[in-house]
Amino acid sequence: PAIPEGIPSDGRTNKDGVLVDEFGLPQIPAT
Amino acid sequence: MAHWFHRNPLKATAPVSFNFYGVAASPAANKICNDLRATRARLLELFTDVTCNPEMMKKATDTYFSLLQGFIVSLDGTTQENKMRFIQNFKWTDTLLGNVASAQQDAVFELAAMAFNVAVWYTKFASRLAGKENITEDEAKEVHKSLKIAAGIFKYLKEAQVPRFITPVEKGRDLEARVMDTYTIQSQAEAQEVTIARAIELKHNASLIAALAFETANFYQRADHTLNSLDPDYSSKWRKYLQLKQMFYIAYAYCYHGQTLLASDKCGEAIRSLQEAEKCYSRAEVLCKEYRQTKGPGSTAKPSEQLFFLKLGSLIKNTLEKCQRENGFIYFHKIPPEAPQLELKASYGLAEPVPFELPALSEQCTPEVYATFDLTKGAKDDKAKPKQEEEVKPVKEPDLKPQKDTGCTLS
Repeated sequence: PAIPEGIPSDGRTNKDGVLVDEFGLPQIPAT
Repeated sequence: MAHWFHRNPLKATAPVSFNFYGVAASPAANKICNDLRATRARLLELFTDVTCNPEMMKKATDTYFSLLQGFIVSLDGTTQENKMRFIQNFKWTDTLLGNVASAQQDAVFELAAMAFNVAVWYTKFASRLAGKENITEDEAKEVHKSLKIAAGIFKYLKEAQVPRFITPVEKGRDLEARVMDTYTIQSQAEAQEVTIARAIELKHNASLIAALAFETANFYQRADHTLNSLDPDYSSKWRKYLQLKQMFYIAYAYCYHGQTLLASDKCGEAIRSLQEAEKCYSRAEVLCKEYRQTKGPGSTAKPSEQLFFLKLGSLIKNTLEKCQRENGFIYFHKIPPEAPQLELKASYGLAEPVPFELPALSEQCTPEVYATFDLTKGAKDDKAKPKQEEEVKPVKEPDLKPQKDTGCTLS
């Protein structure tokens, strides 16, 4: 399988503009 | 945090004196040589210093590399090679090949080999921290970042420095593309393991966790396949680790995918997904045993007895029982004969290597000082020729085994 590109972020938003933490996870838990 | 990572040994190297009698024809040139010797020795010391942290490592690396670049970059305004690049012989062992060193009379080889060891150090630092009791959130971030830094160094060396070598790298050596690719992908995958633990702790969506686990399994599969054309004598143990982690994270993916299916009232499919998770977990257990029994470079451990492993087993069992209960009382769905296809794409948590940059050239290395290195006066005895078979003393590494695993999770 091809390795997907990582998601560069400024530590606050990902490429879709969603707020993420240092791990690249959404800042507000989805559940 | 209950993580366990396989680690290969550090590279070892022969001492380098940087004594260029006659060649270094000014006090400033002599100072550069003395500082090169001292900063190199300092960096080597830090590799086995358990108190060393990333800040200390970066400082020592930058200090040495800023001077070493004085032997690599052009300092006389021409596009020709730096005249000092090929003056000193450097010997390094490889992480997979035991004590037999390879040597190149090339400062670029030294830069690449040393930077490689720095990257390996970051992975070992991360491993040590991830196995610690009661890890804090900041420490978890440090583990995650260290692994991404390591991935960035491996990637940089492959793309920017190794193509500059005059002598091609032999099969199985650290600076060979396949080995560097494997280290890069493994570091990214391990960083994602930390992210998965974080996502579980923060109770993120099961679909997010399943997708990230599935992509992480793919990373491990790719890393394993990258090694499949290397000699099994030195790659088998490492490959077993990559295979067991791949199977373990596929089990994770099926487990959390099952939870997603249950949440969508697809109880029959959820049960089938959990059953597949159980199968993959059993395969991972077998691979853990094979890992222990396989001889080769690297750490020894009983991964199937580590809490990170046991916890998933309990989670799969409990989730499957819950699904079966609900199916017996509420849904009465048939269990599909085929496991659901995992075609999951992670939108969050994929680890990107941190781009590596060399430090600026040392202020000591000016064109004026460079001009005082006179190669015509070089002492012939000092230019040792490369000796391929000479053994270099292995690095005595501190005990990097994780401390007692209490099962504390990342908070």
